[in-house]
Amino acid sequence: MPKDIGVHRSGLTMPVVTPRFVDNAWRRGCDFINLDLEDSVPQHMKGYARTLIKDAIANVTKGGAEAFTRINHDLVQADLEGIVWPGLAKVNYPKAEYAEEIQKLDRIISRLERERGIRPGTVEIGANIETSVGVANAYDIASASPRVKEFGGAGGYDMSRDLGVEMFVGFDQFVYGKGEVELAARALDLEPHTAPFTANTTGSVGDPDRAFREAEAARKCGFRVGGGLHPNVVEPQTRGFTPPPEEVEEARKVLEQYRTLENSADTWAEIDGKIIDRYEAARARKLLDWSATCALRDQEKADAVARTEQAGG
Amino acid sequence: MSNADVVLLDLVEFVPEKDKPSAREGLGDVVRQLREGGAEVFAQVDSELLYADLHACVCPELTGIVIAHLESVAQIEEADALLGQLEDERGILHGTLEIVASLETAEANQAASQIASASSRISGLTLGRAELVMDLRPEPSGEIHLMQYLMQRLITVAGSAGVTPYGAWWRAPDRGLLATPENTGQAALRGRAIGFKGSFCVLDNQVEPMNQGFTPTAKEVDEAQNLLEEYRAAVSAGAASIRRGDRIFDAGASLQAQVVINRASACAVHNKSKADAKAGRPVPAP
Amino acid sequence: MSILVRRSNLMVPVTNEQFVAGAWRHGSDAITLDLEDGVTPALRAEARELVMDAVYTAGKGAAEVFVRVNKGFLEADVDASVWPGLTGIMLPKVESPEDVIEASDVLNDAERSRGIKPGTLRLILLLESANAVMRVREIIAASDRVSQVGLDESDLSASIGVNPSPEFDPFVYARGRVAIEATAAGVQPVGVAYPLTTMPRLLPGEDMLKVATDSKNLGFKGIICPHPSWIASVNTAFTPTESEVDIYTQVREVFAQAIAAGTAAVPFAGRMIDVPVDEWAKVVLATSIACQLRDTEKQTALAATSG
Repeated sequence: MPKDIGVHRSGLTMPVVTPRFVDNAWRRGCDFINLDLEDSVPQHMKGYARTLIKDAIANVTKGGAEAFTRINHDLVQADLEGIVWPGLAKVNYPKAEYAEEIQKLDRIISRLERERGIRPGTVEIGANIETSVGVANAYDIASASPRVKEFGGAGGYDMSRDLGVEMFVGFDQFVYGKGEVELAARALDLEPHTAPFTANTTGSVGDPDRAFREAEAARKCGFRVGGGLHPNVVEPQTRGFTPPPEEVEEARKVLEQYRTLENSADTWAEIDGKIIDRYEAARARKLLDWSATCALRDQEKADAVARTEQAGG
Repeated sequence: MSNADVVLLDLVEFVPEKDKPSAREGLGDVVRQLREGGAEVFAQVDSELLYADLHACVCPELTGIVIAHLESVAQIEEADALLGQLEDERGILHGTLEIVASLETAEANQAASQIASASSRISGLTLGRAELVMDLRPEPSGEIHLMQYLMQRLITVAGSAGVTPYGAWWRAPDRGLLATPENTGQAALRGRAIGFKGSFCVLDNQVEPMNQGFTPTAKEVDEAQNLLEEYRAAVSAGAASIRRGDRIFDAGASLQAQVVINRASACAVHNKSKADAKAGRPVPAP
Repeated sequence: MSILVRRSNLMVPVTNEQFVAGAWRHGSDAITLDLEDGVTPALRAEARELVMDAVYTAGKGAAEVFVRVNKGFLEADVDASVWPGLTGIMLPKVESPEDVIEASDVLNDAERSRGIKPGTLRLILLLESANAVMRVREIIAASDRVSQVGLDESDLSASIGVNPSPEFDPFVYARGRVAIEATAAGVQPVGVAYPLTTMPRLLPGEDMLKVATDSKNLGFKGIICPHPSWIASVNTAFTPTESEVDIYTQVREVFAQAIAAGTAAVPFAGRMIDVPVDEWAKVVLATSIACQLRDTEKQTALAATSG
């Protein structure tokens, strides 16, 4: 049986204190919405922001998206008390640096799940690597709790600030850090999200063409996780991370050819300049699984939107 | 008969599951025959089928084994013990059979340092077919995702453990079975430039490009020799570095030049002993 | 925040009288007097005799002064080097934490016998083997004296048996590991973007500036310079530019206004400004001030000495 695959192709991170973002979130077509308590919420509004999460979870999931919350690195206890409610799929923990931090999160979440009638183990932990200490401890962090299912980071603003580098300089500055994080993820059978480097010297967050190109390139390298800040990138990311029909067709053909090969005395064959072997077959199977999973997810979201619209928003 | 330094007899990748019992039969005879041709002979064995595979291949003419699809230190320990036992039973000097660990899974790469020091038999590390086993695919640049990191990590770990890193720097769409001789040569050249010392390949016509790519060229050797002479003259005259145009050559550069010269002469010696073996002349033990 | 500004560190063989005499005029933040690879073994004893005066001379332009010692002659070299004006020593060929502890112990003794406050002398570590790269974390953690750590890529090449080619960088992993582990430990990584350290050369100022800027954007905090011609470009690259200072000053203003208006995410010049961007702006502005202070110190010293 393939492991249960989360579908997180596209998502928007938004300050939970900005009603116009939160109220429209369900119409965006995202796979997930990440409600932010951290960087986009001013310090003096943190307490107020926490009180909004419970309703916001119900609000943003109306279109079938999963609800995540990004908490503050230094306000773990209070933030978790305010956000672990039925419907929350994941807690994103920024600047993870030590396994002990994740274990502490796990303990508090476990207690809150019990107290609030949520099935044990429902709430995932997103342990995001954003500092050099985090990279140095990547494997320990990733293996600190079974709630960690996706693992990535080691790029972005926080990482750049920690290393003291400017971003968008046109070459890959994070090969080592991303490599450490991805290797840890793969060794632990977690879903990696350390997309391949694509030169970006503008820093623009709302360019749909770039978003599609990056998502497509990431998918072709085997990645499935996206997310962004601007509504313009949602549709291109969803599309970029979904296998197009011609690739699905190609995968079916590979599997057919592999079935023929299995009945022969060979372990591989060259067909039309391509190798067919057990690795290509495994790759094709994975693509077909992913394609089916995406289709199912898209249907779920469409149904949810239809239901919500029928009920008058 | 190819001119490869090593012949690797595979029991893992190119033998269908149902044919493995017959492949194991008579493997010793094949090892002996090939050894007479002058190449060192290794057998590629399955990390999950160590007992059967090792019983089939161990003989005095075998140099060592490559363990494919390695996942843990425990598998190295198992292979080490089995090899020791078979050496004792079959009249082979205890501890002589080598192990090349093929780090094809993420688990094995994560544990690379521990694996490299898990047995004194470990003589080399390779990524084997990691890009297939780990399903790593080409990036838009043509580089295979994560491979630059994995290759350099493996070379550093190998250097740290004092064992030999094997591999070549492939770029999409090249891949073992489809790579042209020319692209194989390029992969070998790039591989040598980052620290690999040789690579496994699958086709006869890839052997020569590999040998060439991993051997310093006559031009490189010439340059290295000239540089070293000039540097030594300067040092005995009391200088610490020499300038050529805008380049500065110092103690580090002289060490690099020495690397080229040593490597080239080791290759020449090895070529001669291979030729002697082919011609039936006696060959000293490697 | 206290920021160590040691952007450029000029290497000078202590036996080269002319280089030593002129080193202080080139504007480097630090000068390292070499007793190791830059000195032929036959001249080593003689070279030690030269260090005391050289430390004084090298410090005339307010540069920090280091001495690169021989790992095999640690005590004799340190003994020859610890004079007023010395900031610390550069320890090459570090293989293990024990090497660093040994050097630190030798410095303890030297501080005690020469009446220097304990723990004052700094260490710059050079890693030159694959083993050192793998053990970098323990090595850095071995002494509080460690202020910077770098890779000697030239010796590292020889150690792993490569003759590097300019197109294929063999040290993406090693360099990245040193930058990350040093930063994680609160120590400055120093180093240069490929291929300049494996193949040192003199470059036109513009090209050197590009290499130095790339080096900064890999996470390094400074460059060890084999030649004075590198220094000006290196200092420029590791100093925030005027336009950066302008932009980040605006960033701080725009962000402060946003916070006052109740939001912590605000668009500015096509990007989203939030807490990490504002935090980064603080770092850039503080670095700019620290660099200005350092440059003023050096200019003042230079003017006083020349005049």
